[in-house]
Amino acid sequence: MSKPASDPGTGGVDRELTMSRAMVDAIASEMRADDEVFYMGEDVQDYGGIFDSTEGLLEEFDRDRVMDVPISETAYVGAAVGAAQAGMRPIAEIMFADFVGVCLDQVYNQMAKNTYMSGSAVNVPMVLTTAVGGEYNDAAQHSQTLYGLFSHLPGMQVVVPSTAYDAKGLMHAAVRSDDPVVYMFHKRLMGIGWMPAPEGPKTPVPEDDYTVPIGEADVKREGGDVTVATLGLHVHRALDAADQLADDGVDVEVIDLRSLVPFDTETVLDSVEKTGRLVVVDEDYQSFGVTGEVVARVAERSPDALEAVERVAIPDVPIPYSRPLETEVNPQVEDIVAAVESVE
Amino acid sequence: MSTDVDSESVWPADADDVDEAVVANWFVREGGAVDAGDTLCEIQIEKVSVDVPAPESGTLAERTVPENGEFRRGDVLGRIETG
Repeated sequence: MSKPASDPGTGGVDRELTMSRAMVDAIASEMRADDEVFYMGEDVQDYGGIFDSTEGLLEEFDRDRVMDVPISETAYVGAAVGAAQAGMRPIAEIMFADFVGVCLDQVYNQMAKNTYMSGSAVNVPMVLTTAVGGEYNDAAQHSQTLYGLFSHLPGMQVVVPSTAYDAKGLMHAAVRSDDPVVYMFHKRLMGIGWMPAPEGPKTPVPEDDYTVPIGEADVKREGGDVTVATLGLHVHRALDAADQLADDGVDVEVIDLRSLVPFDTETVLDSVEKTGRLVVVDEDYQSFGVTGEVVARVAERSPDALEAVERVAIPDVPIPYSRPLETEVNPQVEDIVAAVESVE
Repeated sequence: MSTDVDSESVWPADADDVDEAVVANWFVREGGAVDAGDTLCEIQIEKVSVDVPAPESGTLAERTVPENGEFRRGDVLGRIETG
């Protein structure tokens, strides 16, 4: 049996939220509680974020706390790093993760390393939000997740919510963290009217504040035959695949990794020690990325448990604009089903 | 007693020349409790999102227009059982 896509929390909650609304709920709550919390990015003010990441904030907060910035990621991500070191709690948004290249020095040499380089004279309590993912025909420079790139560089926590419940809890945890957090939200999960989401990410969301701990994976579906470890959009595809496979008598365990840094190796290991078979599904490039890392962690610690392994990721090609070609490279439900069947 | 969730009352003035819309998101399942003023659903009129508040407190008895369903201005979107 699948359990609900997310923990509905305590108390009778009848409202369900899209992921974008849950994210904004947490940001607004943190801004209310602490004047040092503010948001800046491109088109986050009157437009509300092109993927609704700040929709409605301007109705409650002033323009110096929901700030539009010029198109210079280096300048405003750098400003966020400085503000964080000076005691504020900025949230800075890179509109598409694909654009991190133009401010990479601020991200991995400044944000990620300043605590270490200063001998802890300063710390950098900021959140770097960014939209990830594809399958809406936005081509090679606007469709990547780059999970592996962000997770490879030390000094930053990296979270990827897949449900509204987790989106709120992880945002609370991220803003309250005294160290930098990269918060990657998948466009296809946000629940934007013009970009329909799968059914799964809209979940009950308690009105009260709560945190989802950074660094804890979530077993979304328990099963004894094959472990599928994945994140983001593909959590929902893996759950669909598991439902299909259940009809054929294959019992799939689905793990939502949720955090890439720190990585919850234990939850994956525990599962593989039970099932013996591991499929890792990822919307990033296959080589030198998340899938290889997950497999390596299991192989290092529990080689005897690992009877079979398969990776399902984007082949090492630029993501095509063409819809059929993009669908071909992005792992689909049937690709996950086939991978599970191949190890089973 | 029940109250209709009316699309006419939330239709924005600047969309007076538009007659069709779509329900982009429902935020309450059928059978769920709502307070008056809670956002029940989000409709899109030519890509402009409008939140539809619950007209009364009660239970959402029916989603007359499903998620991603199209409707015409003035159509009833859902029904709330009150009292």
